Amino acid sequence: MKHEDDIHDVDVDDVQDDWFLRAAARVGDLTSPFYREERQRDVWNEASAVGLQLMLWLGLAASTAMVWIGGQESLPYAITLFCLVGAVSWVSLVYARRLGVAVEAPARVLTPRLVPYLLLLAAFLAGVVRAAPDDGFPGGFAYGAAGGAALAVVVLVVSGARTRRRDAAA
Amino acid sequence: MGRTSAAGRANRVRAARSALGLTQAELAAAVDVTRQTVVAVEAGNYAPSVYLALAVAAHLGRSVEELFGHDPAAPSGRSHDTEVHS
Repeated sequence: MKHEDDIHDVDVDDVQDDWFLRAAARVGDLTSPFYREERQRDVWNEASAVGLQLMLWLGLAASTAMVWIGGQESLPYAITLFCLVGAVSWVSLVYARRLGVAVEAPARVLTPRLVPYLLLLAAFLAGVVRAAPDDGFPGGFAYGAAGGAALAVVVLVVSGARTRRRDAAA
Repeated sequence: MGRTSAAGRANRVRAARSALGLTQAELAAAVDVTRQTVVAVEAGNYAPSVYLALAVAAHLGRSVEELFGHDPAAPSGRSHDTEVHS
């Protein structure tokens, strides 16, 4: 059965010509002799996955704590931290996708372990709305960011549920 | 246990290596991996790539099927873990 995660075939030439992958290889030092030893590489990949997940959790938890404890004054720092964590996560997803692996496919992401993360995200967004000033650009930006993130989560959940229903019926 | 695990699946690498009088370090050097990787493969804690499996099999004078083929009666690599750690 073809799964929606099977996004496309990846050609060797595509990989070599891809500026993003070349830049990522340089950032990640992927040509290091360390990666030639396959078990070292696999174990480090697993360790990196653990580190990325931990960063996602701690980053969101820290952002949430900042907006609820620090209020309006901490809002720029909390949103900056949230965006940094999001950017790092986004780079990881793009890297995988360029090599034909759709990690972020809704059917794959939507697992019970995501629930506490979504609750924490909801707490962060609620904190942003609570701490944001009622008027002006910062307030509008905060409301917009919170609304956009909430909408993205709803789309993810609905899309994932629809994909699962379709896969179950196939 | 991560995705690289062979989930404790038995193999005959240790027996074949011992039969040739090779140490883990010698086998590791011959196939260009670390000794820890040989340790993990023998213990069934790591599933080698097809290329590493071929290299190990070639160096031990066996086929990949002989070393890693499914045989429920085969002894587990875990039964000889005493020489694993240094």
